[in-house]
Amino acid sequence: MATDNKDNHWKEDFPIEQLEARQVTRRDFAKFLCLVSGGLATGSGYVAAKAHLFPGEEVQGEHFVCKLDELPVGGTKSFVIPGSMIPYVLIHVEDGELRAYEQKCTHLSCAVFYKPGTGKIECPCHNGWFDAYTGEVLAGPPPRALPRLDVVLKGDGIFVTAYDGTSEQVQS
Amino acid sequence: MSTFREGQNQAHPNKSNTLILALIVILMINVSIQIWLLYTALNNALAQNKDIAIPAFLASIFLFLIGFFWLYYLPAGAKKRKVKQNVNFTDTYH
Repeated sequence: MATDNKDNHWKEDFPIEQLEARQVTRRDFAKFLCLVSGGLATGSGYVAAKAHLFPGEEVQGEHFVCKLDELPVGGTKSFVIPGSMIPYVLIHVEDGELRAYEQKCTHLSCAVFYKPGTGKIECPCHNGWFDAYTGEVLAGPPPRALPRLDVVLKGDGIFVTAYDGTSEQVQS
Repeated sequence: MSTFREGQNQAHPNKSNTLILALIVILMINVSIQIWLLYTALNNALAQNKDIAIPAFLASIFLFLIGFFWLYYLPAGAKKRKVKQNVNFTDTYH
């Protein structure tokens, strides 16, 4: 049997009992909770710093998306503004109105799609629904409305600009 | 003259038990409120309502400090107390 003292030397280097290593004491648990609390406070600080010091850039100027005759009623067109990686979707709603939203669900950033004939935008990942006219959440887990762009019709061309909340509805 | 710590170490285990449970419950409530604050601040910041972020951060720091100084009242571990109390008896067992 290899139970000589030589085999037990590691215990001198690691003098922790098995019970102590397996079980978490309530003291340690309380200290861990305090550590988590510190982490959450740091996270809140990060959110505050990012919101105030590094705000997201707004869309600058007008950007051409497509011609009106390329977008049938009830149809959609995905596009990206040059210099940005954010995907957008332009929707030609059945009553003739044009809307443009970020094509990322506010829940977990899945791509959202317009469901023709319903006036609703669907996120298929977790069954989230948005109003196609306002971008507001109708149902499901998304916590906030879809970010929106203003649509400007110039002649036959459809352009988008930053949403200022006061623009008139654009009818095709 | 006994100090707070000595008095706490000599307290009945039932008392220490209640105290540590109360401490853990308060810490858990603090952490729950902090999770809510972080979630709210993040959602509002992403929706361009950034005014809530700094008050949420200050409230979160305040809760953390409460939890941090709360640990002062954490009773010493049973092992430590046992060693202190039995220090004179250990030799007699050999």
